[in-house]
Amino acid sequence: MPGLKADSKTTQVSLPSAARLLPETWSVEVDDHVLDLRWSSDGAFLAALPSLGSIGIFDREARRTATLAGHPGGNGSLSWDPKRNRLATFGQDAVVRVYEAPFAAPAREIPLEKGWAERVAWSPDGKRLAACVGRQLLILEGETGALRQTFGDHKSTVCDVAWNPSNPNEIASVCDGGARTWRLGQSKPIGHFDWGGASLLVTWSGDGRWVVTGDQTPSVHLYDTRRKHPLHIQGYQTKVKALAWEGSGQWLASGGGPAITVWPCSGKKGPEGAKPIQLFGHLKDAVALDFAKDQGVLASGGRDGLVLIWMPHRSDDPALVAQRSEEITVVRWEPQGDALAFATADGRITLCTMKARSR
Amino acid sequence: MNRTPVTVLTGFLGAGKTTLMNRVLTEQHGQRLAVIENEFGEIGIDHELVINADEEIFEMNNGCICCTVRGDLIRILGSLMKRRDQFDHILIETTGLADPGPVVQTFFVDDDMKEKLLVNAVVTVVDAKHIWEHIDDADEAKEQIAFADVILLNKCDLVAPGDLDKLEARIKAMNGVAKIYRTVNAAIEIPKILEVGGFNLDHAIGVDPKFLEPEYPFEWGGIFELPQGAAEFVASQNPDPSMKLIFIPVDAGTDEALAAAREQAVRGFSSLQIQEAAPGAPIAIDGTLHELVLQEGEMAWPLEIPAAGCYALFTEHYPDELELKLRADGREFVAAPAAAYKPDHEHDEEVTSVGIEEERECDTAKLNVWLSTLLRDKGTDIFRMKGVFSVKGNPNRVIFQGVHMLLDAQDGGPWGTRPRRNSLVFIGRNLDREELNASFASCLV
Repeated sequence: MPGLKADSKTTQVSLPSAARLLPETWSVEVDDHVLDLRWSSDGAFLAALPSLGSIGIFDREARRTATLAGHPGGNGSLSWDPKRNRLATFGQDAVVRVYEAPFAAPAREIPLEKGWAERVAWSPDGKRLAACVGRQLLILEGETGALRQTFGDHKSTVCDVAWNPSNPNEIASVCDGGARTWRLGQSKPIGHFDWGGASLLVTWSGDGRWVVTGDQTPSVHLYDTRRKHPLHIQGYQTKVKALAWEGSGQWLASGGGPAITVWPCSGKKGPEGAKPIQLFGHLKDAVALDFAKDQGVLASGGRDGLVLIWMPHRSDDPALVAQRSEEITVVRWEPQGDALAFATADGRITLCTMKARSR
Repeated sequence: MNRTPVTVLTGFLGAGKTTLMNRVLTEQHGQRLAVIENEFGEIGIDHELVINADEEIFEMNNGCICCTVRGDLIRILGSLMKRRDQFDHILIETTGLADPGPVVQTFFVDDDMKEKLLVNAVVTVVDAKHIWEHIDDADEAKEQIAFADVILLNKCDLVAPGDLDKLEARIKAMNGVAKIYRTVNAAIEIPKILEVGGFNLDHAIGVDPKFLEPEYPFEWGGIFELPQGAAEFVASQNPDPSMKLIFIPVDAGTDEALAAAREQAVRGFSSLQIQEAAPGAPIAIDGTLHELVLQEGEMAWPLEIPAAGCYALFTEHYPDELELKLRADGREFVAAPAAAYKPDHEHDEEVTSVGIEEERECDTAKLNVWLSTLLRDKGTDIFRMKGVFSVKGNPNRVIFQGVHMLLDAQDGGPWGTRPRRNSLVFIGRNLDREELNASFASCLV
């Protein structure tokens, strides 16, 4: 990529003709391979989840605000309460820990039945926590940790869950066989999207219309919950390990090889019959994707160690780039799009301060 | 990027998998291990990691068995590979009834596993005493043997040597490339398990030179040193109505003499002149092919030894199967040397190995057509395959390995001083040797 040059500390992203270097503000290290980075809803804190070891909480100035003990056996997942600065962590000890600011010690520890602990997620209203353990999806009361409901109709370990952003009483889960959607208070799934193969991740569009799975086979399944209509997108090079929504569900970015494919989902038929935008820039699989909120700016991270910033509605070329020797594991925009954090397999976290604006 | 080796441990319940696992975990071998086990063991360790996994089969492509993978392994191994402090080796213990196919296929099919992990070996522990109860009926037992790179015939102290020979020959007929060790309490040098390099065909052929040799019309041969005069064969079992044998005078009781007599015996066994011998009928020791008629109870056949010396005997079945003994001067004689041979008469064996060796070069395009057609039509029946191709215009070896319909070919580097030749091995169910040979010949230039 010719013409790379360092930029100022804060950059306004605006249609560059050639990719420039991402403006890196600070960099810190955690104990191990970074599984996830999550911003608190106000953007004040960034939580970093390593594979093993302590979980770090940083502020925007790179100060380590808190160091939370890692979960014995390995960390699994973390989630911020969308309504306040409250963090849940989960790991292979099958204990959900809930921390309140200033995060000195867990406000609550919720031991669950032993099993593979894959995911914890706050509901959009912050009232409940979902935790997947083995073949069960458990719904816990956010304030007390009490078990509210168990969804157990899964033929294998639950790999991922996603709350419906537009309805805090609905949640989707995936396992071998496909996806299910559930409504609190009802014991049976309200949606049963069995396609026969294994789905690994799930996301629910902001408008509540689409439940989308990334699959073990190189494919994506979309379920239009309004039309109760399934779509199957094939042609990816690898299993699909990353999905990201723009806005409330207009565009869906998907990994599954070095190319990133962005599908239009707002029309009556969604991506059915539509031509996607394809973004070529990574040399190896794109494994991390995140859209800045409502700005049409996409960040991607790849196994090639590249972080690329795209404005897919304006250009097929990346606008900004950062490069590392280790693979990128996660990219995460600050909720208002004012900063981007990314992390690598060797435990390094970098913050880039800039404003994601392409509209 | 160096891929982390993975060893898959299979075997029926009670065969000795846990004993072997304990040995691997407790003996000093200098490797940092992660162990994934399907069954709760009582292994107490402090410096290695043990993870329990529920077997979860992911169907990848409309339920095709060739495309099933182990979802639990993908999840657990994926998690292990996301640790800065990597392991030197990963050991996966399967349940006794597990089909090894999805385990091995996981490393061919899943993108992450393919990139970061490499199958070192499938190690199958066989209970030498009780395997006979499963080997004919249980598909799992056959498949565990068929998939193996290393087979431990365990509990050998509970089985007579002759029965072990018989079992080993039976297993070799199913899987001709696996290295077989006889063990008691799964005692084996750990490098023989952890440093196999399972997909190294040179190694596979090197450890079993008989594999690519022709099959023989007899299972056993040995040289007896006998005194002049009367002798007799005695048998007390009749597993079959009859059994062929041939006696050939040789110069000495040596391996070389046995090898020379073996070729003569092959010709003798192809003779149309067969002397039927009911109990009591004399046996000639001059290279005549005899067919002993087997009956109930004790049977005996007289022999006349014309001169003291060495005589090679080749029998269609193992002598132990008939409890066959050779007596003279009131003594029982023991053969030395003696050898087991890969028999050609076990065509009823469902799972077999087929080896192909060919010095002529292959044509790339023809080879691709042949492989794709073969795997499409026969992939379900082919458990494992591996080999080296000599491809026209390519100065390097082409190494391939596969499981069912999945195939992975790699550049194997220059031939060096090794002679250019194709060496292929297929292990599977209902394989047609002649058809495989003929179809492969179509790739040659």
